[in-house]
Amino acid sequence: MSEKEAEALLLELKEKAELMVDLAYSSVIYDNKDLAREVYELENFIDVLNEELQKLAIKDVKGGELEVNEALAIIQLGACSEAIADAARDIADVELRDVELHPVIKESVLESEEVFVRVKVGENSVLKGKTLGDIKLASQTGMWVIAIKRGNKWIYDPTKNTKIEEGDILFAKGPREGMEHFVAIAEGEEKEI
Amino acid sequence: MKNISELIVDLAYSAILFNNKEIAEEVRYLEVRMDKLNYEIRIMAMLAARNAEDAEKMAGVLQIAQAADTISNAAADMVKLLAYKLDHPILPHLIKESDETIRKISVDENSAACGKTISELKISSETGVRILAIRRKDRWIYGPKGNVRLRKGDILICIGPEEGIKHLNKLLKGEIEVLE
Repeated sequence: MSEKEAEALLLELKEKAELMVDLAYSSVIYDNKDLAREVYELENFIDVLNEELQKLAIKDVKGGELEVNEALAIIQLGACSEAIADAARDIADVELRDVELHPVIKESVLESEEVFVRVKVGENSVLKGKTLGDIKLASQTGMWVIAIKRGNKWIYDPTKNTKIEEGDILFAKGPREGMEHFVAIAEGEEKEI
Repeated sequence: MKNISELIVDLAYSAILFNNKEIAEEVRYLEVRMDKLNYEIRIMAMLAARNAEDAEKMAGVLQIAQAADTISNAAADMVKLLAYKLDHPILPHLIKESDETIRKISVDENSAACGKTISELKISSETGVRILAIRRKDRWIYGPKGNVRLRKGDILICIGPEEGIKHLNKLLKGEIEVLE
C-alpha cells in the first residue's frame, strides 16, 4: 500500500472512531435512539475499513514493500480501532436496550453542558443550496455542524465552503437554547436564521 | 468520562500520526485517570443499589463504565506501538509532509500569559494553534474555551502549524510578551 493510502485509511479511522465515541455517549445523554443506531452503522463501516487496512498490510509484506514488524504494527493499530468501535457500540447498546440509567450516576458519568442533535434538511429549508459560511449558523444559533451524512457518505469537519443539500443529515452540537431554532430552520419550518 | 474518552482517542491517533512520544505519555496518564474513575463509579453503583430496580438502572451504568475502560485501554495499546522497535515511524511519509504538529507546552511562571485568558492572548488568530486540552495538576480542561485563564504550570496540548507552535512556545516560556 502506498503511504498515501495508509494515511487516508488511518485518518478515516481516527475520524470515525472519534465520531462514534461522541455519538455513543450523546445517544445515552440525550436519550436518542437515532444516534445509537448511527453508531451501529458506523461500527460496521469501521469493520470494513479495518479489514481493508489489514489486507493491504499483509499484501505489502508479501510484495516485500513492508517489514513484518511494520505490518504487524499496522494490524495492531487496526485491532485497537476495532476495540474502540466495539466499545462505542456497547455504549449505544445501553440506549437501545431501554434500560433507564440511574439519574444521579448518569450525571456524574456523563457530564456535559452541550446538546447534540441530528436533523434532516427538509425540501423547504432555507439551508438548501447554501454553504455553511453563507448561513452563519454557528454565530446565529450557536449550533456547530460537526458532520454531515449524505446518502451513504460522511462529511467530517465540514468547512464554511461545504454546501448543504436537501436530504442531508446534519449532526450538530451546541447550547440547549440554540437547538430548537436550529431544528426548525433545518426542517424548513423557520425561515429566519 | 465522555470527555476523557474523546480526548484519549484523539490523542492516541494523533500520537501515531505525528510519531510523538510526549503525547503518548499523556495517553497513558489519561488511561490511569480513567481506571481510577471507573473504580469510583463501580463503588458508587454498588452503594446506590438498594433493590432490584436500582440494580437494573446500575447495570447500564456499569456497561458504559466497562466500555469506557475498553476505549482507554485500546488507546493505550495503540500508543504502545510507538515503542516498537521499528527502523522508522509507522507512517514516515505522512509525518514529513504534514505541516501541522502536536506538542505539549508548559506555562512558565515568568510568562506574560499567566493570568490571561486564551482569547485575550489571541492564540488562535495569531498562531493558528488549537488547544486540545489543558492539564492543571491532576485536573483536565478539555477543549478549553476562550474565557479560560492560563496559570503557571499549566500544560497545554496543542496542535497547529510548526511556526505557530514555536511562536506560542516563546510566549509561554516568557521569551516574548505578546503574540503578534
